[in-house]
Amino acid sequence: MTFLENAGWMTFFVLFVCAMIVLYLARKPAHRAIRGLLDGLYIATRFVARSLANTATKMHARNREVLLHLGREQSERELRKEFHEISSFVQRDLGGYPKLQQNIREEINLIQADYEASQHTATELPDWTQAVESVAKLKTSNSEANTRLLEQIHSTAEIQHRENLKAYRETNSKRNTVLQKVLPHWRKLSFSIDDTGRRLSDIVERSKKIDKQMERFNDIQTGSERAEHMLRSSAITQFLISALVITIAIGGAFFNFHLIALPMSEMVGSAQRIGGAKVSDLAALVIICMEISAGIFLLESLRITKLFPLIGSMDDRTRRTIMIASASVLLTLASTESALAFMRDQIANDLAALRASLAGPSSFAEAEVHTGINHWIPLAANMVLGFVLPLALTMIAIPLEYLLQSGRTVLGSVVASLIGLLAIAVRVFASLLRQMGHVLTSFYDLLIAGPLFIESLVLKSRSSHSDDVQEELPWDDVEPTEPMSTGAKK
Amino acid sequence: MNTIKRFIAVLGVLTCINACSTDDNPKYANGYYLLLDTSGTYTKELDKAKQVINYILAMMEPGDVFAVARIDSASFSEKDIISKLTLDARPSVAITQKQNFASNIEAFIAEVKSSDYTDISGGLLQGVEYLREARVGSRTILIYSDLKEDLPKGYVRDVKPELEGFTVKALNVTKLRADNQNPRSYLDRVADWQSLVITGGGNWILINDLDKPDALL
Repeated sequence: MTFLENAGWMTFFVLFVCAMIVLYLARKPAHRAIRGLLDGLYIATRFVARSLANTATKMHARNREVLLHLGREQSERELRKEFHEISSFVQRDLGGYPKLQQNIREEINLIQADYEASQHTATELPDWTQAVESVAKLKTSNSEANTRLLEQIHSTAEIQHRENLKAYRETNSKRNTVLQKVLPHWRKLSFSIDDTGRRLSDIVERSKKIDKQMERFNDIQTGSERAEHMLRSSAITQFLISALVITIAIGGAFFNFHLIALPMSEMVGSAQRIGGAKVSDLAALVIICMEISAGIFLLESLRITKLFPLIGSMDDRTRRTIMIASASVLLTLASTESALAFMRDQIANDLAALRASLAGPSSFAEAEVHTGINHWIPLAANMVLGFVLPLALTMIAIPLEYLLQSGRTVLGSVVASLIGLLAIAVRVFASLLRQMGHVLTSFYDLLIAGPLFIESLVLKSRSSHSDDVQEELPWDDVEPTEPMSTGAKK
Repeated sequence: MNTIKRFIAVLGVLTCINACSTDDNPKYANGYYLLLDTSGTYTKELDKAKQVINYILAMMEPGDVFAVARIDSASFSEKDIISKLTLDARPSVAITQKQNFASNIEAFIAEVKSSDYTDISGGLLQGVEYLREARVGSRTILIYSDLKEDLPKGYVRDVKPELEGFTVKALNVTKLRADNQNPRSYLDRVADWQSLVITGGGNWILINDLDKPDALL
């Protein structure tokens, strides 16, 4: 500024003209330098963008593989479970089918026998009817004798009729009794048939379910878009739910930590520190970690989770040993925590009494009055929580397994998408660099617009003398796009 | 053989853990040294000092060090320490220690007699020495006094205390009758002590409102 003020406008003008001449003379090398520099940057950034895009594509492919692999494993597991269930169902229920068939046959035979026993046999006509006809046809004058004879026959017929009626009623009664005996057999038969039908319909339902799972499994096996989409959305849902449950569990662990940190200081002391953390706090943390570990081993040995496939594949005896050991450790730690919770309550009461006594005699008396009534409620709550919380924390293994499984694909997808976005951003930046080359060369020409105008006038005057010379504007001879486009093609 | 190897490995891990930890971990412990002025009419203010002491006791953590000393005619002496404690790591023991400490202080305040002179510098030097020996992480000297020093004849206190790493808090610096007549004397008195502490490399804090106990620690 001082230099410009001292030099004056004339000097500034001379310098400006000189600079313009120098810039005009150095125009082509300057253009080449600008283009070379920006072309280099453009190519480099394009290379980075391509690399990032390739990485994103590879990550997407890898994520897809992992996703399908996990989905295949899960589908296989579900199918295996279904087949196992249907197998046990067939063995348990339909395995007794021959016996059932035998029962039905026996029931039918019994019903048939009873039915036959209950059949009505028509009584034959009595022989005396023919005798009556013969007496009636007798041509005799002694009608009295006939009448007596007929009356005798009538009375005999009456007696026989009553006997027959009685016999008929007895037979009917017996038949009814037999038919009544048939009724339970019918019911049994009906129940057996209904039961068989119900079981068969269960099998049909299960087979439909298996069909659906087989279809899903085939979709995953072929790697279809539908299966991938389904698995991805399922993985995201699982990830979010398990993350939520883990967060809640961490809250529980934090609460548990505070429940036992103070009494732990009574056991191991709180003055000693390791790396800035109190030993008592670390001991409390170790206990909580041990509880979680025991819970994980317990669920592993029960084959509920598969964080350690080795445990699941052990023989039943070893697995049962691990299960019993884990459960024992867990119960011991839970009982210890309950005792610590009791101790915590005692210490907290002592501290409250101390603070009250330090605050003054009136506050101390007030504190005494307050602690007398509801003392057992927080104590019992602390002890129950101390016992229950470690057991509840064991369930953390299930969401943890889901989180680890789904987290791999979800986080992988997120990272791949971010890399893809970064590739796009770098590519846009490369395009901007390319345009920057044009802008800079144009700006350079703008600075030396005067000499370029003179040059164009000279060229025009030359072209008017010679028809062979083609009219050419000074800024048209600069072709910045050529190397840029070459770079772009590269 | 494998069992022996395992035992050695476990022993090694335990040794490492033990090496990481120390018995007292002084760098995390806090040290407090409270000087109580027992000269002249200031003894009337000692009831309020009891509240300060109780507050400090209530807020102390295991491993912390606390000593209360009197400022009398010749305070550069261990005999002037009324009560001192290093808080035990176990809360139950620490509670008992605090109760005993509070009882000692109460007994002292009930029986205290005014001293003829006021040797604040001697008490400050004694406090510096005590907290240095205690090897604590943070060192705080609390001076409960009107900061008016009055040395007996023959006592020399021209030693500049080295207060690097110390925080000196002047509590309840009451105004004397002469201060009311000429506030300059009060301001100069406080400024002189502040200068002494800052020159020695320490931090200076003046707290006259004891109703805000949070500022004490």
